[in-house]
Amino acid sequence: MSTPTPPTLDTHQAKLAAIRKLIASAKRWDLVFAGAGLLALSFGLLVLVALFADMLISGWMRINLDFFVSFPSRRAENAGILSAWVGSLMVMFVTALSAIPVGVAAGVYLEEYAAKNWITDIIEINITNLAGVPSIVYGLLALGLFVYQFGFGQSVLSAGLTLGLLILPIVIVATREAIRSIPQVIREGSYALGATKWQTTADHIVPYSMPGILTGCIIGLSRAIGETAPIITIGALTFIAFLPASPVSASAPFINFDWLMSGFTVMPIQMFNWTSRPEEAFQQNAAAAGVVLVVMTLSLNAIAIYIRYRLRKNIKW
Amino acid sequence: MTDKHLSTQFDSELGDVSSRVLEIGGLVEAQLSDAVNALINGSSAAADRAMATGARVNSLEIEIDSEISSIIARRQPAARDLRLLIAISKTTANLERVGDEAEKIARMMKTIIASGQGNRVPTAELRVAADLAAGLLRKSLDGFARLDTALAVDILKEDDLIDVEFNGFVRKLITYMMEDPRKISYSLDLLFVAKALERIGDHAKNIAEFTIYIVKGADVRHTSMDEVESAVK
Amino acid sequence: MAAVLQENAVPASAVPAPAAPLAPKAEAKAFNFYYGAFHALKNINLPVYEKKVTAMIGPSGCGKSTFLRSFNRMHDLYPGNRYEGEIRMYPDNVNILAPDVDPIEVRMRVSMVFQKPNPFPKSIYENVAYGLRVRGVKDRQSLDEKVEAALRGAALWNEVKDRLNDLAFNLSGGQQQRMCIARALATDPEILLFDEPTSALDPIATGSIEELVHELKKQVTILIVTHNMQQAARVSDYTAYMYLGELIEFDVTNNIFLKPANKQTEDYITGRFG
Repeated sequence: MSTPTPPTLDTHQAKLAAIRKLIASAKRWDLVFAGAGLLALSFGLLVLVALFADMLISGWMRINLDFFVSFPSRRAENAGILSAWVGSLMVMFVTALSAIPVGVAAGVYLEEYAAKNWITDIIEINITNLAGVPSIVYGLLALGLFVYQFGFGQSVLSAGLTLGLLILPIVIVATREAIRSIPQVIREGSYALGATKWQTTADHIVPYSMPGILTGCIIGLSRAIGETAPIITIGALTFIAFLPASPVSASAPFINFDWLMSGFTVMPIQMFNWTSRPEEAFQQNAAAAGVVLVVMTLSLNAIAIYIRYRLRKNIKW
Repeated sequence: MTDKHLSTQFDSELGDVSSRVLEIGGLVEAQLSDAVNALINGSSAAADRAMATGARVNSLEIEIDSEISSIIARRQPAARDLRLLIAISKTTANLERVGDEAEKIARMMKTIIASGQGNRVPTAELRVAADLAAGLLRKSLDGFARLDTALAVDILKEDDLIDVEFNGFVRKLITYMMEDPRKISYSLDLLFVAKALERIGDHAKNIAEFTIYIVKGADVRHTSMDEVESAVK
Repeated sequence: MAAVLQENAVPASAVPAPAAPLAPKAEAKAFNFYYGAFHALKNINLPVYEKKVTAMIGPSGCGKSTFLRSFNRMHDLYPGNRYEGEIRMYPDNVNILAPDVDPIEVRMRVSMVFQKPNPFPKSIYENVAYGLRVRGVKDRQSLDEKVEAALRGAALWNEVKDRLNDLAFNLSGGQQQRMCIARALATDPEILLFDEPTSALDPIATGSIEELVHELKKQVTILIVTHNMQQAARVSDYTAYMYLGELIEFDVTNNIFLKPANKQTEDYITGRFG
C-alpha cells in the first residue's frame, strides 16, 4: 500500500509564493486606477482653485466695508455693490417664496397623490427636461409673461418670479427624490394606524423628507443667485444709484410692497457691467464682486450641508 | 419513510435510529427464544445466554434514547417524524422490558432446573403461551419495520389468546398446589414464568399500538377494538 | 378596488369544525385576490377565531402575507389590486372588502405590525400616540394614560418610562418591534395582524415577542404570518398552511404539527418540501 507523500515544507512555500505573486500583480491595477483617479480629480479642483485665486488676487484690495455700502459710480475707486447685493437678496426672497411652496407641493402631489399612469410619466419627463432648458429661454418667457402680459415691468417681482420658474424643476425633483427615499414601510405604518393620505403626508412624508427638500431648495437658490442671462433678458438695470423702497418702515403701515415693483440690479449683472468697462480699475471691481458672489454661493451650499446634517441626525431608516 | 427530507443528514439519522430499534428487537427476540428454550428443553446453557444478552439490550436502549434526544434537539421534528421518534422511544422501552421478562424466565428456569424438579408439573399451556408470545413479538417487530397497520391490528386481537392460556394455566397450578403442598414453591416459580409470558404479550401489543400511532397519528391505547379499526381505516 | 359580493359562497371544504364551538372574529369566504392579472389567492375560506392566535405558514410566495394584508385593506394603497369574495368581521357581520366600506375604518379596527420594525423618526411617546392622534385624541392626560397602557401591554413600559421623549431609533431592534406593537395596541384594535414580526430580530428578542403574543391573545384576536414553523407551533392556537395561493389545510395547531391530514402539509412541516 502506497501512502501519498505528505506535502513538504518546500512545496508549501512554493505554493504560498505563487499566491503572493498573483495578489501583487492584481494589486498593481489598484494603484494604477488610484493614480488616474487622483489625477482627474486634481485637474478639476486645480482649475477651480486657480480661477478663484486669480479673482481673489486681482480683487482683494477692493474688498472692504466701503465696497459693500457704496452705490456704483463712474469712478472705479468709489464704486460699490450696495444696490447689487440688496437687489440680489430681494430677488432671492421672491424666488424662494414663489418656487419653494409651488415646487414642494407639486413634488408631493406627484409622488403621493397622482395616479401612476402615462400622464404622470409625461409630466415627470417634462420636469426633468425643464431643468435642462437654457436659462435664456426662461428669460424670454418671463419677458413676455411677467413684464408685458402681467405688467410687472422690469421689477424685482418679475426677476424673482423668473428665477423661481427657473429653479422650480430643481425643487420638484429634489422633493420627489427626498420623498422617494422614505421607506414604504413608514407609509404603511402610518396607513395601518388608520391615517388618511393627508395625515400621512403632513405628519410623516413632508417632515421626514425635509432635509432633502431644503437641500434641494438651497442648491436651487444658489444656482439662481448666479444667473445672469434671464435677468438681462427681462431688462435689469445695470447702473442703479438707489435702493428699492424698504419693505418695513417705522411708520404705519409698517410693511409695504413697493419694493416689489422697483427697478433693481443683481450681483452678476453688476459684474457683467464692470467687466465691459475698459478701465483696469473696474476689472478689479468686477473681480471683487466675483469673490463676494462666489462666497455667497458657497455659503448657501454650506448652509445646505449643515441643514442636511442636522436634520438627518434624527432620521435613520 | 417513503419520500426524502431536504436534509439527507436528517434522513440518515432517522434511518439509523430506526434500524437500531430493529437491532434491539433482534436481540430481545433471541433472548426470548433462549428463555423459551430453557423452559421447554430444560437447557441451562440457553438460560445463561438469555441472561447474558440483557446487558447488551440495556446499553443499546441508552444509545437509542440519546440519539432520539439529539435528533429532537437539533431537528425539531414535526408530524410523522415526531410521532416516529416518540414511538421509537416507547418501543425501545417496551423491548427492553420484554428483555427483562425473558431474563426473569431464564432465571426462574435456572432455579427450577437446578432444583431437579423440572418434570413435576405438565407445562403444555406454558409452551403454547411461550410460542404465542414469541410469535407476537416477531409480528410486532415486523409490523413496526414495515409500518404495517393491518398486521398491528391482528396483534391486538391475538394478545387475548395468551391471556386465555395464562388463565387456564393458573387454574391448573391452583389444583396442583391444593393436591400437594410440596409443589407450591415450584408452582409459584412457574406462575412467575407464566406471568412474564403474559407481560411479553402486552408489550408486543403496545408496540403494535405505536405502529398505528406512527402511521395514523391516532393513539389507540385503552380503546375498544371497534375504535382501533375505525382509526386504522 | 372591486370586491364582488358572492351571496352563495362555496362552503369551506378544507376547514374542519373546531374542537370547541368558538366564535369567529372574522371569516374569509370564497376570497380571491388579484395583483393585476395575477391570481394570487384562490378561493380561500378561513375562520379567524376570537382571542385566539391563528398562524399562517407556507413557502415564500404562497400568498400568506398577501392574505394577511387583505385584512386591513393594505392592498388598497397600490393600484391594480383586486379583491373578490368576502372577509366578514363579527359581531357586526360587515364585509370589510365591500367597496362602500372605507379602508381607513377597517384599519382603525384592524392594526398591523410589520416585518421590520418601522418606528417613525419621532419620540417613543409620539410613535405610540400617533394612532390616537389620528383618531382625534388631543387631551394630554388621556394620551398619557393610553400610551402608558399600550407600552405596558407591549411589556416595554419599564424599559422606556424614563425616556419617552427619546427618539424611537435609539431603542434596540427588539424594543423597536415591541414599541411598534404598543403603537398598534394603543388604539385598542379588534384584530392585530403580525407580518413575520420577528424575521429581523435575534432569538432573545424573538422570544420576548412570542411571549408577548401569548399575553396579547387575552385581549385581542391575532393573525400572524411566519416563515418559522416552530414559531407557529409555539405561539398559535390554529394554523393554516398555504401553498401557491391556496389554503391547503387549516386546523388546531396541535393537529397540524402532530398529525396533519394533508400530505402536502406534512411534507412541508417535516422538511420534505421541494
